Amino acid sequence: MSIVSQLATILLNGLQQGAIYVLVAIGLSIILGTLKFVNFAHGALYLIGTYLGLLITLNITISDGKLAEWGYGQVGLDLGFLPALVIVPIIVFGVGLLMERFIARPFYDRPDTDQILLTFGLAIVVQEAFKILFGGQSYNFARPAQTSLGSIELQLSGPIDLPLVGTIGIWRLYVIAITAVLVALVYLLIEYTDFGLVVRAGTRDAEMVRLLGVKITRPYLMVFGVGAALAGIAGVVGGTLYAVNPNIGMEVLVPSFLVVVIGGVGSIRGAVVGGILIGLTLSSLVAVAPQWSQVGIYVLAAIILLARPQGLLGSEEVAP
Amino acid sequence: MAHVKDGLTRRDVVKVAGAAGTTGIAGLTGCLSDDGGSGDGGGGGGDEDYPALGNYPVEGDKVTFGFNVPQSGSYASEGKDELRAYKLAVKHLNNGGGWVDSWDDLSGDGVLGKQVDYVTGDTGTDADRARKQASRMISRDNVMMISGGSSSAVAIAVQGLCQKEKVMFMACLTHSNDTTGKDCARYGFREMFNAYMTGQALAPVVTEEYGKDLKFYQLYADYSWGKTQQASMKKFFEEEGWSQVKSVATPLGTKDFSSYLSEASNSGADALFLNHYGLDGANSLKGAIQAGLDQDMEIVMPLYNRPMAQAAGGAIDGIYGTVAWDSQIDNEPSNSFTKFFGEEYNGRVPSGPAQLAYAQTLQYAAAAERAETFYPPEVIKQLEDYEYSDLGMEQETMRKCDHQAQRAVPVVKGLPKSEQKSGKYFEIVQITSRDQLGYECGQGPASKCELGSYK
Repeated sequence: MSIVSQLATILLNGLQQGAIYVLVAIGLSIILGTLKFVNFAHGALYLIGTYLGLLITLNITISDGKLAEWGYGQVGLDLGFLPALVIVPIIVFGVGLLMERFIARPFYDRPDTDQILLTFGLAIVVQEAFKILFGGQSYNFARPAQTSLGSIELQLSGPIDLPLVGTIGIWRLYVIAITAVLVALVYLLIEYTDFGLVVRAGTRDAEMVRLLGVKITRPYLMVFGVGAALAGIAGVVGGTLYAVNPNIGMEVLVPSFLVVVIGGVGSIRGAVVGGILIGLTLSSLVAVAPQWSQVGIYVLAAIILLARPQGLLGSEEVAP
Repeated sequence: MAHVKDGLTRRDVVKVAGAAGTTGIAGLTGCLSDDGGSGDGGGGGGDEDYPALGNYPVEGDKVTFGFNVPQSGSYASEGKDELRAYKLAVKHLNNGGGWVDSWDDLSGDGVLGKQVDYVTGDTGTDADRARKQASRMISRDNVMMISGGSSSAVAIAVQGLCQKEKVMFMACLTHSNDTTGKDCARYGFREMFNAYMTGQALAPVVTEEYGKDLKFYQLYADYSWGKTQQASMKKFFEEEGWSQVKSVATPLGTKDFSSYLSEASNSGADALFLNHYGLDGANSLKGAIQAGLDQDMEIVMPLYNRPMAQAAGGAIDGIYGTVAWDSQIDNEPSNSFTKFFGEEYNGRVPSGPAQLAYAQTLQYAAAAERAETFYPPEVIKQLEDYEYSDLGMEQETMRKCDHQAQRAVPVVKGLPKSEQKSGKYFEIVQITSRDQLGYECGQGPASKCELGSYK
């Protein structure tokens, strides 16, 4: 295998692994950047997205947990993957709105530690609730082999031969593509709309935005909703890559926080760069020193924090 | 299994003594005790024959068992099923039913006249946490026996603690060669076969299917089990004429194996061995199939079980491996276990780990009954070189030299998604008899085994 093709493989694997973290991290980053709210329950939104996606896409057999006890041993709409990709973010957007209004808002002016305790507790409650309902077992989120988009038949799974890279699962390309489209949409929303202007201004100096007379309540609600919806989509996409169980929310949270730290709080471009860097670090270390792959991402975060405390593309706050 | 109950046994004496006032006797013997063991929480000493040791003697009218299984982490699905089986075993020991009715040593009214109680712990698939849970069970709950596992690292850690504390450890799901090899313990017994035997059972079957002279690439979980699994596969497949291209360790809990799989795919190997288990196994196999590795390579999953097959779905189609036990094994003990487990749990089909958990609990209870005491050295002697055939895995021996059960190993092949249904995920290719497996005392993994003392 030539060095060029090895590099191409590492790059592709890195992009795909980083893609899920990017989706989760963007929401985490804009909520933290704009609202100054540390949301440890963001992984729970990912978890909700995954299970909703599973239930919309397939009809699954539940042999453990309360749902099975109550006689719902077979649940799911079996609508296929694309409807899940549309419906899940809408529902999780709603969950995000409720979360902002009733959980986050009373804590905006409280210390970080209070916010962490609150959201961490909430994450555990959600995780345990899913465990009670669906049992601790793992489910297989097998996506349909193909889906139709109007008259176009899309091949979603199975291997594909790529020049240089060789054989890979075609779905991994879709994961990268879906992430790219979503990131572009969010970027346009933040960069080129009035809503985005308030968000960006809030990221830099929330107090000044308030003093300028901007009614910040509604944009804040929207920021939370959009962030949640992205976590929901990440859950649907990520759920297809791994087995689904109640612990996945917590598992995705830590790397996503690393992405935010590396990229810079509040920066969409930063989240993308951070996600890709983490993905590339993981995939390249696997190729040369597999035993260091997990340690590597923390070392990377530590180095970047030492050299640039605000993250690669984060800006230092104007006001304290 | 036959145990002739003739004359007045020590158990009967103990029962009478218990009726006359167990507390007083225990208090007296406690004063006389000067023998080893922590004795903490276990009350005072034993009697003249059996001085206090570990948590012996058992005080009161209950004997407590500790079930230490993963209820979270990579092996949580396996742990949950084990726990179901443990609870069922306790129920049957106390009230009769299940295998208890057909085992001569067991009466269905507890063990040695004492009702069985239990405590549970969540190991989180983590050795340190498991050791802490076991330590709590020993010192606070005064357990006489601990069973559990679902990770060899966990099982080995707890087994070591049990040896030190003189508490019996009936290993459940642990497949590392080291459990009854270099980390073996006098106080630990393993019904499950090991990685060495998996290699012995699998290599001839897979070679016959795919041919000799193949090059293989191994991924393995980076801890005790994965390492001995990798080494065993290398040994037995190379003996069949295969050659290893490379083997790579992956951290326990890896979710995305794509980078590892890309490396394997581009290695030029003809076959890929995925030495992963539980959720990790489901994820790595699913990733390999999604990436189309099965089109160019033969994939082998040396150790399977039902929960991971369920999580991997159609990805197991045609993939060879071994399982601890499967409900499709057609003999009286296996069929009855499937039946009464299903009756207890809404038609649920038991997994291999569940069968191990149930069997190990009953094995300990039956050994205590045969020994007529809970005094650990006597219970150990009842299990050493014990011959049995009532677990559904043909004739077995719990070998004295390393406490490793000499038993048959089921070789299976995954079924396509369309043929899978609840509890049926594999086709049983063959049940390799124990005569074709194993190794002598002093050879293979047993060569490194030093069991330690009885007391």
